Amino acid sequence: MRKVYVTGMGLATCIGRDESSAVEHLKSLRHGIVRYPPFADPAIPVKVAAPIPGFEIVGTDPEDWVFPEGLRFRMEQYRCLSPNVLYACYAMQQAIENAGLTEDEVSHPRTGMFTASAGSAMMTWMHMDRLKRLGPSRCMPMGMIASIAGTLSFNLVSRHKIQGSSTGFVSACASSGHALGYAFDEIALGRQDRMFVVGAEDFTEETIVPFGVMRVLSSQTDPDIASRPFDRDRDGFVGTGGSVVLVLESEEAAKARSASVYAEMKGWGQSTDGHHVAIAHPEGAGLRRAMEAALTSASITTDQVDYINAHATSTQIGDAAECRAIKSVFGSQPKPRISSTKALTGHALSLSSVMEAAFSVLALKHGFIPGQAHLKNPDVEAVGLNLPRETLDEAPATVMSNSSGFGGANVSVIFGK
Amino acid sequence: MPKTIQNEDELRDALKRCPEQAITAAIEFNETRDPSLVPTIVMGIIERFVEPDVRPVVRKGDDDARLMEDLGIDSLLMVEIVMLIEETLSLSIENEELRNLRTVGDVKVYLDAKLKGLPLPTTKNLLRLEQIVAEMPHQPPFLFLQEARVNGEAAEGRYAISGDEVFLQGHFKDDPVFPASLMLEALGQLAVLYLRKTDRAEFSGIDREKIVFVSCDGVRCHRICRPGDTLQMRIELRKVHLPLVQFQGTITVNGVRVAKAEEISLSILEGELPEFAPREK
Repeated sequence: MRKVYVTGMGLATCIGRDESSAVEHLKSLRHGIVRYPPFADPAIPVKVAAPIPGFEIVGTDPEDWVFPEGLRFRMEQYRCLSPNVLYACYAMQQAIENAGLTEDEVSHPRTGMFTASAGSAMMTWMHMDRLKRLGPSRCMPMGMIASIAGTLSFNLVSRHKIQGSSTGFVSACASSGHALGYAFDEIALGRQDRMFVVGAEDFTEETIVPFGVMRVLSSQTDPDIASRPFDRDRDGFVGTGGSVVLVLESEEAAKARSASVYAEMKGWGQSTDGHHVAIAHPEGAGLRRAMEAALTSASITTDQVDYINAHATSTQIGDAAECRAIKSVFGSQPKPRISSTKALTGHALSLSSVMEAAFSVLALKHGFIPGQAHLKNPDVEAVGLNLPRETLDEAPATVMSNSSGFGGANVSVIFGK
Repeated sequence: MPKTIQNEDELRDALKRCPEQAITAAIEFNETRDPSLVPTIVMGIIERFVEPDVRPVVRKGDDDARLMEDLGIDSLLMVEIVMLIEETLSLSIENEELRNLRTVGDVKVYLDAKLKGLPLPTTKNLLRLEQIVAEMPHQPPFLFLQEARVNGEAAEGRYAISGDEVFLQGHFKDDPVFPASLMLEALGQLAVLYLRKTDRAEFSGIDREKIVFVSCDGVRCHRICRPGDTLQMRIELRKVHLPLVQFQGTITVNGVRVAKAEEISLSILEGELPEFAPREK
């Protein structure tokens, strides 16, 4: 099995559109959550959200959208755009530049791309609305391509002329974790030399607000306390979106082009709760097995893990289940420091896993351990867990990042220096 | 019938990002349904959909600009352009009818015909070299048509000057120039092709085997044409007073006019060709 390195990243997140901005937010525990004006309507039960700076999704015509300088689209690409793809194009461009890859290295039979997004609820609605109102012959030709879950793959692989392995993963909040894990396998098993892992999610009313009816969104109006994983008074998550791209390469490929390396991806594991379509297994059984599988895959003992970036989304049931799962693997007084950076970013759904993996990688590269923000009164289940209230100026050597999705899918990935 | 756009606000919204003159023309067309406004509307819609770097080509208004090769309009983009044209002009356009539109000129001709209720260009009207060779009395090396289309009152044809034409060796030595007389000849041949292929009522039932040149007038040549140039020819029917048929013709190369004939008259003969002098008995 070959070694896998992280050699590049691109970010379009609510706590930064580049590495230094994200690191600054993680170190100072500055969150990106705001009182969100489009949710002011009294009918909408949620008031806070975490927008991505520099982007504005105005209406359903992509030519009207606002995005940072330096990102260009051909007319034919505008037709297929949705917000998650827009963010991903930005992150991908940054990742390629950051990794120092040439066009020929990006478009190569040994370079692949795995993606994760839930598709675009907003564009689906827009096109279906046209279908129902105006009839089939007046649908936009690219309507489906711009809407369905594969849209991220379709757009990115064609835009960058990807020739290697490509597919998308659809496992809700574990999606980009699966994308990372299977990308790791492609390289470790020798099938590909380089893999882009692209996670992205729309940041629109259509994507976020429906979670309100499920009672999993925080109804807090104060952005400073709304997202508080592990806190006794947590009442749901805060929505965000954006995109993160990680570049994975085999050791040989990275060395051959003297790539600068962020960290090594050491292994991963997955397992499913076998419990409920939306509610986590009370003991976090699937997550426990996923963590154990990750440790085995990375040939690492529990003692060696310095930091766990938890999935914890700030929901009552989910956070509690994760506490139990961590204790069942690491003991009642787990050694690793633990925090959920969702306190700073909110929950980015399909994007979460790779975004938090990126944060974990940044922690390794820059030598810090992100603290647990917004924690006032730890939940009783969190007793015994080492949840630093401030970011620690300490360089971890091994980091684990967890993600759990609808249906009880759980993924755990491990990075090391 | 597509949902029609009734008011100015809807039109402006549907046509946003189109050049202002197209929007103004569309609003006026909504009132008057004047077909002469259509080219401005359509060119404006096309301009809005193509890549920015191609827009100057559209603005130049070259009818010979090819939708696919020169403007980058693929079949899917064509669908969007057509949908907007349908909405703006309150027309219904079938996919079948689009298949033969290859140049900007084709689009204009098509829409003009559609609005006036004239016959539409179809594949039946497009003739390739083999069909032309099979149809024409003129044959290589004296056939100056490689592709042609006959439609309604006009015909268009194309001839690429290869440089291998035998007469170029003497016209001129070391400086090949396509003779002006042959530019006129090419137009005449296109007119002959038109007469033989048209299904217009006034020619039905007439034997069009023998067609001869009678006269021409107002012939001007503006540019010299050389090997590598493709002559784009167009003849339009002017008058029919059988057996005489009068045409007007123009030739362009890359959108630039190189020759024009105000009048080319042909005669459709029945019976034997006339001889120069009566035979001695």
